[in-house]
Amino acid sequence: MTKKIVIDPITRIEGHLRAEVEVDENGVVQEAYVSGQLFRGIETILKGRDPRDAGLLAGRICGVCTNSHFRAAVSSVEDAYSIKIPKNAQIIRDLMALALFIQDHVVHFYHLHSFDFMDVTSALKADAKLTSKEAHKYHEKPFRNSHSHYEAVLEKLSGFVKAGKLGPFSNGYWGHVDYKLTPEQNLILISHYLEALKFQTNISKAVAIFGGKTPHPQSIVVGGVTSVADMLNPQRLNDYLFIIKEAKDFIDRAYLPDAKLLCMAYREEIKEGRGRANGNFLAVGGYAFEGEQKLFCSGVIYGHDFENIEAFDESKIREEVDRSWYKEDEICYTDLNEDGSLKTAKNDDKYSWIKAPRYDGATMETGPLARVLISYHKKNMLIKSFVDDFLKETDLEMLDLSSTVGRNAARAIETSYICEYIFKLLSRLIQNIKYYDTDTWSKFDFGALAKETKGRAFFEVPRGVLAHFVNIKDAKIENFSVIAPTTWNATPKNLNGLRGAYEEALIGVKIEDPSKPLEVLKVLHSFDPCLACAVHIIDTKGKELSRYKL
Amino acid sequence: MRVVIVGGGIAAAYLANNLKKKNAALDVTILSDEKHLPYDRIHLCSLVDNTQDVDEISLSLDPTIRVELNQKINKIDKESKRLFSDNAMFSYDKLIIATGSVPISLFDITHIKNATVFRSADDCDFIKNGVEKREVVIVGSGPIGLELLETLNEMSSVDKITLLIRGNHLYSKDLSTDSIKTIEACYTKDAKVRISYEDEIVDTVVKDGEITLLKTKKLQIENPFLVFGVGIKPNIENFREILQCNKGILTNPFMQSDNEDIYAVGECAEVRDMHFVAGHVKECTLEADCVISHLLGEEVQEFKLEATIDMLKVGEFDLVEVNSPKFSAGYEKVLITSKADNRIDEYFINDDKLTRFIGINSNVDVGYIESLINNGDALDINYLYQNRLIGERGRLICSCEHVYHQDLVDIVTQTGIGSFAELATFSDAGRVCGRCKMMVQDVIRDSQHLIDPNMPKKTVQEIEREKEIAQVSKRIEKFNAIHPRNNLTTENLNSAMESLDIAKHEINSWISMVTANMQLHPNFEEVVEKGVKSLNKIPIIWLELADCSGNSEAFIKSTNPAIEDLIFEYISLDYHELLMSASGDQSETILEDIIANQKGEYILIVEGAVPLAMDGKFLRIGANGETGVELLKKCAKDAALVLAVGSCAFDGGVVAAAPNPTGAVGVAEALGRKDIINIPGCPTNPTNIVGTLLSYIMFEELPALDKLNRPLWAYAGRVHDNCERRGHYELGEFVKEWGDNGAKKGYCLFEMGCKGPYANVNCPTMKFNGGTSWPVQAGHGCMGCVEVGFFDKFANERKYIEE
Repeated sequence: MTKKIVIDPITRIEGHLRAEVEVDENGVVQEAYVSGQLFRGIETILKGRDPRDAGLLAGRICGVCTNSHFRAAVSSVEDAYSIKIPKNAQIIRDLMALALFIQDHVVHFYHLHSFDFMDVTSALKADAKLTSKEAHKYHEKPFRNSHSHYEAVLEKLSGFVKAGKLGPFSNGYWGHVDYKLTPEQNLILISHYLEALKFQTNISKAVAIFGGKTPHPQSIVVGGVTSVADMLNPQRLNDYLFIIKEAKDFIDRAYLPDAKLLCMAYREEIKEGRGRANGNFLAVGGYAFEGEQKLFCSGVIYGHDFENIEAFDESKIREEVDRSWYKEDEICYTDLNEDGSLKTAKNDDKYSWIKAPRYDGATMETGPLARVLISYHKKNMLIKSFVDDFLKETDLEMLDLSSTVGRNAARAIETSYICEYIFKLLSRLIQNIKYYDTDTWSKFDFGALAKETKGRAFFEVPRGVLAHFVNIKDAKIENFSVIAPTTWNATPKNLNGLRGAYEEALIGVKIEDPSKPLEVLKVLHSFDPCLACAVHIIDTKGKELSRYKL
Repeated sequence: MRVVIVGGGIAAAYLANNLKKKNAALDVTILSDEKHLPYDRIHLCSLVDNTQDVDEISLSLDPTIRVELNQKINKIDKESKRLFSDNAMFSYDKLIIATGSVPISLFDITHIKNATVFRSADDCDFIKNGVEKREVVIVGSGPIGLELLETLNEMSSVDKITLLIRGNHLYSKDLSTDSIKTIEACYTKDAKVRISYEDEIVDTVVKDGEITLLKTKKLQIENPFLVFGVGIKPNIENFREILQCNKGILTNPFMQSDNEDIYAVGECAEVRDMHFVAGHVKECTLEADCVISHLLGEEVQEFKLEATIDMLKVGEFDLVEVNSPKFSAGYEKVLITSKADNRIDEYFINDDKLTRFIGINSNVDVGYIESLINNGDALDINYLYQNRLIGERGRLICSCEHVYHQDLVDIVTQTGIGSFAELATFSDAGRVCGRCKMMVQDVIRDSQHLIDPNMPKKTVQEIEREKEIAQVSKRIEKFNAIHPRNNLTTENLNSAMESLDIAKHEINSWISMVTANMQLHPNFEEVVEKGVKSLNKIPIIWLELADCSGNSEAFIKSTNPAIEDLIFEYISLDYHELLMSASGDQSETILEDIIANQKGEYILIVEGAVPLAMDGKFLRIGANGETGVELLKKCAKDAALVLAVGSCAFDGGVVAAAPNPTGAVGVAEALGRKDIINIPGCPTNPTNIVGTLLSYIMFEELPALDKLNRPLWAYAGRVHDNCERRGHYELGEFVKEWGDNGAKKGYCLFEMGCKGPYANVNCPTMKFNGGTSWPVQAGHGCMGCVEVGFFDKFANERKYIEE
């Protein structure tokens, strides 16, 4: 006899996500349905507009992944017109994008995800001296590790608790058996939670230096970027550099050690593969400076077979909507059951606004874990030492990363080496400027460009693979289509019943207390869901995506 | 900061002491041209009759104040900020002139041995030594003359005194004949004193520097000793050349002269707009308070005239006067007299309002009269009669500090003090003008028997602490009343206090920032502070509808206050899906709880558009599949205030851009309400959210809104008008294509499609991400994201063609 548990709203994510899981008498998940609950239709709105306006509008797909969509939309239009942007523009766009990686990963780990591991009320019992000692297990110079600092955090925390002024901490699943950390470990995390609030404010300034503001920067235009005056101002470059330097310090001395701490404390569930999906991974790679080694490699892994990585072939991407609320390109909403639950009883019932992308018919996981696995096994020397060190220190194997906690480890490793790469990228920019290359825009005459053309852009963005496709007719957007990372990961099933990464990762998870499904949240959060990004109407020309060749 | 005060009177001492009290680190110097430490001129008479010496009437001064005597200032160098006396030079950062006034004599008496004015300790010596064996002639019938008359009358060394009065009244020309007769009778009961009304000096015979004969209209007096008590004028002769002066040194309402580093206070100053020169101690101290507030930049107050209280206690009668600035000659008068008590109450009434009161041997409650005058209510004559007897606080003892008889008795019985010196820690009664010092001492002495010998004595700290606890208990009570889930108790008072009380230094920067951002006068800082402190008591629900979370993301990038302080210290963000730890049922419980239990108390912030097509089913939230619009209506129904943040909540934003596939509208339209405050922007600047919340809490009403319900303080200025590149626009210097030389130099972006001329918002001054940048600075230009339908109108890089 199975029982259905509904979790809605799933908080600490972007957007409106709902999960319905069927558990057996022991509380073990047998089947899962994950559903996007909001449809806005940004692609429909893009239709008929001037292709040069796509960026500003498509940027609004998401305020969290903010500059990812802005850039991808503009790049897809540049691809359609075969416009090659100047080196400097490329670097500035990369500097904004990579600063976003750092911001997103840290916010995700501490502010969106850490409550699944850290019991705030347990931290109150911590001893400040022992906490300081504990932190030394994960780094030789831990971030803000004085006794007095921990005492101050404790004091602040007990102030909230005694005053009953818990704010965002209220009504958590405090005391749940699935919380495994000692009071001291909890205190380390909560201390970093508070520090990270400051951190994310600061790192966002790095994006704003070249973007004008964030979220929703405004400096990318078809042909290049507009922030040339900022680029030529040494003080702005210096500001950017020092923000990243400061960020790197936090990442090396707090974020990465905390990922190690979780790996050690949750070793048991890692080894049992909790939160593991079907082992299919996809990455499109990217971020390179003129033919040098790319920051990320592209490739496809099936069933955790790391030894045989296939080359990525975009013609193998298909989108389907058998169980999404569309029929071909029409909206086909089928409403909920009387009790408000999703209609999932029959194999062809529709239950989500998210469409179903498939790579060669298979569901794929995309994101930091996919990037780390693929880049490492394709012998990307930029990342190798970071991964080796981490696995050695935590005594884990590569396969262990394919788990709830492992996804976080991959994310932290990636953040650290992105910082290193930014320093290189910035020195390239300075070199360019030094040799009198100050171009930031490639001139084109819009009237002379092709009236009918198609373009696409693939990017690695914080949560995984992002693709934008544009069809242009009569110098207007005829069709626009987006496949975002969460579209891959949170995909609903198709008629063949294949589960996507979210659903697959939930199967077999044991829920101790159905009224407090912490275990489900933990699995879902490890993917860093972003629902605004995920929901996109299917492109009528979806089946023709294969026309684009790399 | 070095503050130098020129002058040696009450105003100087009051200023110096209170500056030190407010900020002990200040370097305060008093420069006096007298040879005595600042003393209390009101007690000069006791120097004449030798009952006190000048040390006894000197004013108490904070020991860290530097005092330089015998320094008559001859010159001020405004440029280098230096003062020069005959033998010294003093530097200042701020200079306060409190030189008071000089007495007037009717003819030059510089070298005459038996004529003087009555103003200083030296004058007292002169009088004391000169009056023997002479007929004393006092010219003038004002309070000073009357007091001296009384003193000399009691002195055995004085045989005969003549009071020479030009008019036909004593004390004031507005007194009734009855009152004048009563006063007169006190002086003339024996033959020592004669009063010559309607009389004045017409000639003098001077021999060897001595007046041998004084001729008046009516009298001839041989071998006189002449004392002038005819009036005073501001003592500013040395400042006339360097500062703007009229009667006194002209000042603004903060008592600042035309040089911003020089203030003038007291009888030497003239408030320009009021043509006002102080004449009472109370007025001088009010002026001094303005200077102190302005100089220290705390709760700056302008000088305002208030009712003043004067008391005159002379032998057999006492006189009290309450005078309003509104008093004028065209008054009507109510007289209440009692022959039996020898009592006369005179009420002066202008336009049905009480403007002045003079009482002789009066029993009235002076505080009550003062409030009658200050409130300016129309007068009910009956009240005046009812007020003829004293109230429950007893007689007013100290008119400067407004301390009544019973107040003093309470202090004595509660704290067990036994002397005037011990009183200092609890009250300044008797210490400001010093006139009532004797009376205060009497009360302390007479109420000693009321002290309960078993009463534990409380220290000042304990009394302060009790007050604080009483205050905090009230706050906790209020907090719990509107916030039942958070049970603050007084059991662990310290931690509760810490939770409630935000560290002062931390909020001050925020308060100033918000005050400045909202373009409020610095005077509003106090109100802002109150708003900031109550902000954390108000539950906030943040609802995300058809959105991209961009405004939430922007909100957590809030600086000043930093986000960690904002969400943990200042506001009670009880429901925000992006940040809250609770999920699913646990989060829904929070929402239900606020809606059910805190009706009319919570603030609802909505982000995102409201899809209405397909019965709103494009968005569903919660286990029961409630649609976005249903949830919005449920949350908005009992909210105290609904804020629509971001462009989508404003008018549907990008979601409602053509062809608006989900039938999306803004919050106001979805609810069909006109009272929704819109804070548009894509995303909106977090400062504008926080500022609007504050403004609502501070003023308990909606901030001023434009016709689109956007708060004017943030949305009144046109981007183009405040733009940093505006100068280039005026010069015709434009960016012509991306990345050109103009772009490198920061030229105007109008030709590149900047919509600054069509957008009204504070981006140019506020900027984003802690002031890092904004779209114009990034070389792109504005896209008018705060305006209606901007995605269909402005969101591109082409010049807007106005219809």
